[in-house]
Amino acid sequence: MAQSKRTRVAVLFGGRSVEHEISVITALQLMQAIDPAVYDVTPVYIAPTGTWHTGTQLLERSFYAKVPGNLSPLDEVTLLPKPGVRGLTKLADHSTIPIDVFLPAFHGQYGEDGCIQGLFEMADVPYTGSNVVSSALTMNKYACKVFLKEHGVPVLPAQLIARSDAQKDINGVVQKALSTEGFTTLPLFVKPCNLGSSIGISKVKEAHELAPALAKVFRFDTHALIEPCVNEIMEINCSVREHNGIHASVVEIPVSQSGVLSYEEKYLRGGGKKTGQSAGMASLTRVIDPQDLDPDIKNSVVELATRAFTMLGCSGVARLDFIVDLTTGKLYFNELNAFPGSCSFYLWVRSHPRVLYTTLIHNMIETALMHHATAASLDRNIGLKALRA
Amino acid sequence: MLAKITTLTLIVAILAFAWRRTLSYLRYFQQEEYNSTRFIAWIKSNRAFDTRGSLVLLLALIAHILFPGSGASFLIALLSAATLFVVAYVIEGDPRTTGKIRLNMTERATKTAWVAYGMLAILGVAPLFGLCCSCSQGSAPLTLTALCGIAIAQATPAVLMLAAKILSPAEKRLQKYYYDDAKRILAEVNPFVIGITGSYGKTGAKAALGDLLTQTVGSTFWPKKSINTVMGITRTIRETMRPHHKYAVIEMGAYNIGSIRRLCEFTPPKAALVTAVGIMHLERFGSPENVYTAKSEIAEALPEHGILVCNGDSPNARRMAEQHKRGTNLLYGFDLSKGTLDCFATDISYDEHGTSFVIHYKGERFPGRTPLLGRPALSNALGAFTMACALGAQPAFAVACMGNLPPVDNRLVLDKGSRVSYLRDAYNSNPTGFEAALDVLKNLPAQRRVLITPGMIELGDMQYQENKRLATMAAAVCDLVYVVGPTNRDAILAGLAEANFPRTKTIIADTRDEAFNTLAEQSAEGDLVLIENDLGDLHEGKVRF
Repeated sequence: MAQSKRTRVAVLFGGRSVEHEISVITALQLMQAIDPAVYDVTPVYIAPTGTWHTGTQLLERSFYAKVPGNLSPLDEVTLLPKPGVRGLTKLADHSTIPIDVFLPAFHGQYGEDGCIQGLFEMADVPYTGSNVVSSALTMNKYACKVFLKEHGVPVLPAQLIARSDAQKDINGVVQKALSTEGFTTLPLFVKPCNLGSSIGISKVKEAHELAPALAKVFRFDTHALIEPCVNEIMEINCSVREHNGIHASVVEIPVSQSGVLSYEEKYLRGGGKKTGQSAGMASLTRVIDPQDLDPDIKNSVVELATRAFTMLGCSGVARLDFIVDLTTGKLYFNELNAFPGSCSFYLWVRSHPRVLYTTLIHNMIETALMHHATAASLDRNIGLKALRA
Repeated sequence: MLAKITTLTLIVAILAFAWRRTLSYLRYFQQEEYNSTRFIAWIKSNRAFDTRGSLVLLLALIAHILFPGSGASFLIALLSAATLFVVAYVIEGDPRTTGKIRLNMTERATKTAWVAYGMLAILGVAPLFGLCCSCSQGSAPLTLTALCGIAIAQATPAVLMLAAKILSPAEKRLQKYYYDDAKRILAEVNPFVIGITGSYGKTGAKAALGDLLTQTVGSTFWPKKSINTVMGITRTIRETMRPHHKYAVIEMGAYNIGSIRRLCEFTPPKAALVTAVGIMHLERFGSPENVYTAKSEIAEALPEHGILVCNGDSPNARRMAEQHKRGTNLLYGFDLSKGTLDCFATDISYDEHGTSFVIHYKGERFPGRTPLLGRPALSNALGAFTMACALGAQPAFAVACMGNLPPVDNRLVLDKGSRVSYLRDAYNSNPTGFEAALDVLKNLPAQRRVLITPGMIELGDMQYQENKRLATMAAAVCDLVYVVGPTNRDAILAGLAEANFPRTKTIIADTRDEAFNTLAEQSAEGDLVLIENDLGDLHEGKVRF
């Protein structure tokens, strides 16, 4: 009896982004933390090829070592962009697996950038996290900077370089980039415009390294971002979430060993190496809620993070990364993760009031259901008049 | 009654033994691409006939003669059955899960195994009929069963070949269907096909070219690893070719005269990259001239306006370019003393992060670096660069992209460890590659330099000479040398001795695993270990059945 009253939640993860594996790690953690008394979880794994699969085997971490060979016993499913289905459709027999709410646990392209959110909107189903526009805007680092600058959030300058321009005349592109004001002193940071997880990032220390650094970005993205490098740097991250209002967590200072947080550092360092298993973002070496940090900086981070989250129209749980130029004391917004690794739960369990991971997920789902109800109450039916005249 | 149990026990053991043996032989038959001639040659040269099974059964026969009587024969049968089980399932591992190149249970392998096993099983249960006819006699069934068992053990390879022969028409029909399907996909996608061949370097060049083209001019299809046969390419096209593929880079392996021509009929190239025409696989071709003829088929297949890019450092690749004038003919390389080069590299140096160089192309200098190590890898990258530029890539951008070329597995890849580092060059070694690997070994920082190698194969008359020569060179670079397997042991030892390499620093190992185990005990902080060549099971040590 109690079983049928549970809310049926589909946790979607994996996907076609380069952060596929990180998403799997985040989702496995999340599905362990979710309250089984309240929620009935259906894991939905999107393979790197883009096919959707469901089955209880997906709850085992060891399963993923043998993908794609072991996918065949799972049920292949999809979400039809058709309102009223209210669940996943099995491809084999077109039957429906009823779902009340969708929880996308993707990092990066197709999952965190508005794509899957667009599908949820088409299917008219409740989903957690940010909506289409907010997701898209936060995924594109350049657009996000331009937007936030307009709203008074300080950002570092950036140049946007298109792959097609570089392919035609890399020397011209490099020369122009290096002669632009604010970019004439090295080192510079070069990064993909639309990816997270530090993939494709280089620190360019000499002029001749810029072309290969751009070429590296263009393996992963059609657009590269060049940013000045703040030499004396301190990173400060803060998580913000929506639940009956907007709330900020305590801040954290991730500790980097090499100056730039690499993919390996972000995901393979810390507790990960010792056990042979990566625990994703939760494993990073970090100082949470540093007591000796200037309260002014702390307050500015919290204020700017809340403002950015609100202006961008985000929902769910996001993490906003800031940097402090230690030589000037200036604070800059760096990037926003609409669905951060490990859901930033490690910040919330240390916040005041303390929010447990289970509660965090519970609140995300409540908020998703509320937003869906609000959207459903909007009047869209103005009738078909133009065609009937 | 006891006689029946005796016979049945032994039959069950023989059947179980035969199944495992069918798979064990199939593993090598598969490695020889189901080619009976090559499989027979391998069996002969390795004397890979059954000894263990036959010996057990022979002893059973002798024991049976010495101790007749049903009670004794029951014990003998029980003992030999148990021994057979131990031989097949304890001493000899499962070929599907053990060994360097495992038995891959493809559809073809499964069918072949079952057909062969069916035939062997008929032979195996034959004594049952004998049992029915002569139920009163206790001794005849055991003798008959043991003899049948010996026959099964000895006939397994032949029966496998027979099974392949029986299945051949069905296999051919299936292959034809796949071939036509791949042809259809190819016609629909219609990519610009670039063929690659060479005595060595073609897989590395393919990976470099596929990557460079994708980065510079457009989405490119290329079969990964060293897939270079019609069936391998057919399969990859059916599985991974997509409508967005603008280019297709196809590695074309020459196994005989005519193999490249057949590949060119399958995927007609508009451009070709020839990495080297050397003396590899001489045993298959007979003479260097035949190698040249076989490789030239790729140039002949090019249309009049086609693009032919050849490695100018290889005299025969250069000759191919001279004899086949096409729309665009370009030569690349390092060695300007052999003639003009359209694209060449100078100022080459190595460090732990890769290779630095300056490329000279159309009168311009392009300094760059690549994470790939060694001259052969740089030569491949240079060939890929030349081809990419011929297809419209901007040279400066192509050089920038070379900075991110992904390494190809086991082709001189540096695997840095906190204590011991490895230079893995385990793929098909050849004299040029071996020499280059030693050069890199010499130039990277290390406390001790260690070489593990079984030497090079398929070099015809030159095999002894070349292995000896490289061993002499290794002596000047290495502090320790592990000689793996018997194939080239004498040549390598002779070379080391000639260079006065201390005998105490030479370790002889029968197998790669043995070498690694010894190395694990003897390795020290700061060791740099070059793993040069890793022969398949076919050549490593002796196989015993």
